[in-house]
Parts: sequence; structure tokens; C-alpha cells
Amino acid sequence: MSILVTGASGFLGGAVVERLLAHGEPSLRCFIRPSSNTARLQELQAGYPNASLEFVVGNLTSARDVCRALDGIKTVYHLAAKMRGAPATVFLNTVVASKRLLDATMKTKSQRVVLVSSLSVYGTSKLPCGRPIDENTELEQHPEKRDVYSHAKLRQELLFREYEARGGFELVILRPGSIYGIGGKNFSGRVGIEVPGGWLLHFGRNNLLPITYLDNCAEAVILAGTKAAAGDIYNVIDDDLPTSAEYLNAYRSKVGRTRSISVPFFITMGLSSLAEKYQVYSQQRVPALLTQYKSAALWRGHRFSNEKLKSMGWLQIVPTREAMQKTFEYLNHQKANCSHPTFPLCPRPLSQVVRENPSTGVALERGS
Amino acid sequence: MRLDIALVGCGKAADQHVSEIKKLKNARIVAVCDRELLMAEQLAIRYGIREYYSDFDRMLQQVRPDVVHITAPPQSHVTLAKKALDAGCHILVEKPLALDHEEAEYLVDHVVRSNRKMTIGYTYYFDPIARAMRTMIQEGVLGEIVHVESFLGYDLSGPFGEPILADRAHWVRQLPGGLLQNILDHLLNKITEFITEERPTVYAHAWQRSDPFNANLGLPDELRVMISGQTTSAHATFSAHARPLAHYLTIFGTKNTMHLDFISSTMTFSSTSTLPGTIGRLSCAFGQAWQYFREGGRNVIRFARSQYHYLDGLNFLLTAFYDSIIHDTPVPIPHAEMLRISAMMDEIFEQVRGTRLFVK
Repeated sequence: MSILVTGASGFLGGAVVERLLAHGEPSLRCFIRPSSNTARLQELQAGYPNASLEFVVGNLTSARDVCRALDGIKTVYHLAAKMRGAPATVFLNTVVASKRLLDATMKTKSQRVVLVSSLSVYGTSKLPCGRPIDENTELEQHPEKRDVYSHAKLRQELLFREYEARGGFELVILRPGSIYGIGGKNFSGRVGIEVPGGWLLHFGRNNLLPITYLDNCAEAVILAGTKAAAGDIYNVIDDDLPTSAEYLNAYRSKVGRTRSISVPFFITMGLSSLAEKYQVYSQQRVPALLTQYKSAALWRGHRFSNEKLKSMGWLQIVPTREAMQKTFEYLNHQKANCSHPTFPLCPRPLSQVVRENPSTGVALERGS
Repeated sequence: MRLDIALVGCGKAADQHVSEIKKLKNARIVAVCDRELLMAEQLAIRYGIREYYSDFDRMLQQVRPDVVHITAPPQSHVTLAKKALDAGCHILVEKPLALDHEEAEYLVDHVVRSNRKMTIGYTYYFDPIARAMRTMIQEGVLGEIVHVESFLGYDLSGPFGEPILADRAHWVRQLPGGLLQNILDHLLNKITEFITEERPTVYAHAWQRSDPFNANLGLPDELRVMISGQTTSAHATFSAHARPLAHYLTIFGTKNTMHLDFISSTMTFSSTSTLPGTIGRLSCAFGQAWQYFREGGRNVIRFARSQYHYLDGLNFLLTAFYDSIIHDTPVPIPHAEMLRISAMMDEIFEQVRGTRLFVK
């Protein structure tokens, strides 16, 4: 057993495990929490009977659990993070959990760690419209002004860099855009904000959405574990990106009617200013869903580059048009058949198509 | 006078405390501490607090706060409280006060001997509707209190429940009373003010309800408590499964019955009608509808004035506690009340100990 995937039962985690198995990894260790839904991983195990999936059940904030998980591991794919919830919970499960992992990594001598970070660590708030964002763009200086997730992901990245500087392991950082796909949600936050009454406030309609399809992102994660140079950082976004309006229109035509109000950028900034003023007036009694800082970072219309990722040999294995089609079919299926509001157990359908990655010859998707 | 406040334990409860302290004029937060420095750092950065520490003793020594808020897990309350008191600080301790009644008594003794002040984080005790309720009871609107029903719903998949399910070593699981101990104060502190006996008769029954969500909880998540005093009885219900989530207090008096809904922040009375027979029954629903309409309108006005907030009770408690320090007046929640509740909790846990899981 030489590979550990943290967050293996999560949205991206399941896809990474699937891609590793598709690449012929004979055995993987999956770190999952006691409350994790392992249906997807069990399904993968059944689909790859010759491979071995080992589950380590524990909590990343426990040094003992993490040491147990890292025993004998050479490569760690660190995907586990808390994306929403109370700020303290997000930090605990993203940053403190990473610290436990790094402490254990230093002890157990794992050779390579792939960290899945986020595009939200870039300091885009002050950058002008259309400015390309690549891996050299300055990082966020005030992530706390943006949101808790950005704050936690940036702190997590800095922590990994601090430990990397001490030596002992190779670090590769990936910064994916919004990940979408089968098992995911309807809209990225960059499309807009869903408000009570079933309305969507649609921001930045002409902006290119920095998105990456689940399997494309998973492929990048695996490449980072095998091909990337130590210490490198890669943005992960797909080619042929749709604009926010194109995505929403495609969603409407494939999944169903969505009531939305398109809000131009200058009005978005005006609304954000009002929201901030009300927040001050109300002494933070109402959370500021919009702030000028956050709105400028998300909806000013920046362009993200994936050139460096492609130079590593990454190829988009599912074209954007097909990826959107698959995602919308899944969402349509969910809408029609799986309406349980709190405990969705709908298994992700197994891939039906068999194709090969032209550069590696590895099956990209397997038949069921 | 402005008090310097420090806080130890930078988890979810700390956010609530810091956000309310920041609104007050008679206090300012000067430092936060957590044994995990990253947690202290994130709280300090998000709220613009200059000092953050992982060493509690060092914080006390360097910052010399007037008041320390202890929002760390209950297992550390007594140790941290003792250190803060010995450093000359007043303390606010999050609920539960201590692991058991014996520890709670020890803590209260130490507070008294130190000549410092202490209060406990009973968020709902001073909620606007709870304060209005006390005023009405004093005015005799309910008459004598006959019976009280306190209900608290809990979401195991929510921000407080989910981390407990996800972590087998979570501190809540290590409490003598498990999940119930972390919640029970909110249920009991609404009752004890109506039960005058020092040690009323308590009957408790708890179990874990089988559910795919909580399969790995391994702790009771349903509790029923019957409390019987000489003139007043009470029934307390904690449920992690009843939906929609409810949080209410119903007070049955000899003249009237009052219903406090802590989620919608409404206070209503059971309707009676002076009209005869069926007509009277028909009019009751309109009477109820009018009360809810009036309460809703009042809340809209409070919202517009930015006075309608989930943590209004905590805000009031902090203001009252700091005022009691500044003016050397009695603390807002008497120590005896805290001790009665801790004794009652011990009794309940004793009765439900060894509860079989998945029995229902």
C-alpha cells in the first residue's frame, strides 16, 4: 500500500480513487470519517475486483488516526477539507487537520504530498477585468474579507509551504476552479446566489466560468502525484469554458426552468455596498452575503490560465460540452427521482463509455 | 469604565461570544487563546483581535484581562477557571459549568473565595421573550404556575451535531452525560426558576433512536424528564429526531397559559373565548392568528431596528454581567441556580446511565 487519499468519500475523492484504479493502481488506502457515506467507494471496489481498497476510519484532527493512515505510504493525495459550516469547523477540518497530516508526514517519511487547494487563494479583488490569472499571480492578502473557505484554503496552503521548506517531502499544489459533475450541485457560486423563493441572482453573466469537470480534475490530481515537478503549483481548469450565462442557459434547457435575475457588475457592487452598510447598521446581525471585496474577486471578469497544467501533460479527458451534458443529465435524473432532501443515497451511475487517454493509453472510463 | 476581555477556547461558541462582545460599549476583546494556535489565529484575524496565544498562562500574564470567557470544552473548565480566578480575573464559563455537581460546587467555592464574579453562558435565559415572560409573570398574568413544558430539538446533521458524528473522539462523546450533557442546561434552565425545591423529584428516560444518520453516534439522543415539585411540575423533552426543529417553553398557570417559541421569537397565550358553544370554539383560531400576526409585526419592527437577533439573549447576559462587575452588583444568574441545575443533571445522568441503544 503506497497511496493514501484523504477525503476519499467526498465529491472529488471518489473520482480520484476511480481514476487511480483506472490507471491500474492495485491497492489504495482511503481515509474516511466515521460518518462518511462509503457507497461510492464500495461501488468502485466492486467494479475493480482485482484492486484492493483499504479504508482507514478516523479523523484527520487526531494525530493517532493520521499516523495510522500514513503508515507505509509514499504518496498522499490530500483532498479532505471542510467547505461549509461554522468558521471554526471549516478551519479545524481544513487547516488543523492539515497540520496533523503534515506532522505525521514528517515522521513517517512519505515522499510526495499532493495538496488540492483552490483558485480562491488568488488575490483577484484588486485586479482589473480581463486580467489573466496564472500560478504567479499574487495570493490573497485579506482572505478573511472574502469568505471563510478562501481564508482556510490559503492558510492551509501556507502551512504546507512552511512544512515543505523544512524538507522531508515533495509538495505539489493544485488549485482547481469550481468542480462540477455527477454527484455535484447545480451551480457554482460564481454563477450566482440562490435566494429564498427559488430565485437565482445571476452575477457576472459574460464572465468565463473557471470550472473543471470532476474527472478532468481527478486526472490532474493523479498527474500531480506522478509527473509534476516537486514544489510546483498548477491551476486546474478546463478548456472551452462557457460563460456564466451559457452555463445557466444550458442548465435551463437540460434540467429545467430556473428563475433568475441577471445583475450587471456595477449593480452587483452597488448591492454589495448596501449590504455592507446594512451589516454595519445592524451590528452584524445579518451576515453579509455580498461584500464589495468578495464581489470584485468573484465577478469582475478575470481569466484563469491552465497553460502550465497542460505543459505537464494534462489533457482534458472529457470535453466541456460533453461534461456539461453528463452533469445536466445527472441533475435531471436527481430532480426526477431522488428528492430526499437530507440524505441522498442515489449511487452515481457507473460510466458506460470506454475511451483511452491518448497520451497514456489508460482507460479513461470503464464499461460497467 | 471599559473591561478588557480575553477568551480561551476558539471553537464555534467563541465566535458567538466575540461577535457579541464587539457590539458592547463597556468591553473590548483584547486576546484569544486556544491550545491549537491556528484556531486562535483564525479567530483573531477574522475579528481584528491583535493578540492570540496557545499558552493560557502566558496570555493571563501578558494581557492581564479583567474578564476571561471560557469557551473551551467542559473537561477543561475548572482548570482554566481556577487559573483565571487566581490571576484576578472574573469569569464567564460556557455551559455546562463543569463535568458534575461536585466540580461545579468546587468552582463556585473558588469564585466566592477569590472574591470574583462568575456567570454561565445561558444564551436563551435572557432572550427577549424570556425577559418579557418574567415581566408578565410578575404582573400576575398567568396566576400561579401549575406546570411547565420545555422542549428542545437538535439537528445531528447541523453545525454542532455533524462534528460529533464525524469524530469518535469528539469531546462531547467524552462527557459523563454525552450529548445530553452538552445540551441539557438549555432545557433545564427554563424550568428551574419555576421549581422552588432545592432537590425536586426527577424521573428521566433516555434512548438512542435508530436512524441512518446517527448509526455511529453510540449515545442517547432522545431524553424525557419529569420533574415534580410541591406545587409545580415540569416536563423536559430533548429530541434529535423530531422535525421541524422546535425550541419552546409552555407555562401553564392558574389564570392563563403562555407559549414561548424561541425559534420565531414569539410569545402567545392559549386562546379562550367568552362567546358561547361552537361560536366560541370558532373564534379561538382567529384569536391565535391575531396573536401571531401581532408578534410577527413586532418582530419585523425589531428587525428593521436591528434588534431581532438570534444572540440577543447572550448580548443581554454579557451586558448585565459586565455591569455587575463595573458597579459591583449581583451577577445576572445566581450561583445557586447554576448549582441546582448541575445537581439535577447529575441525577438525570445517574438514571439514564446504561441506557440501551437502538431500543426504539
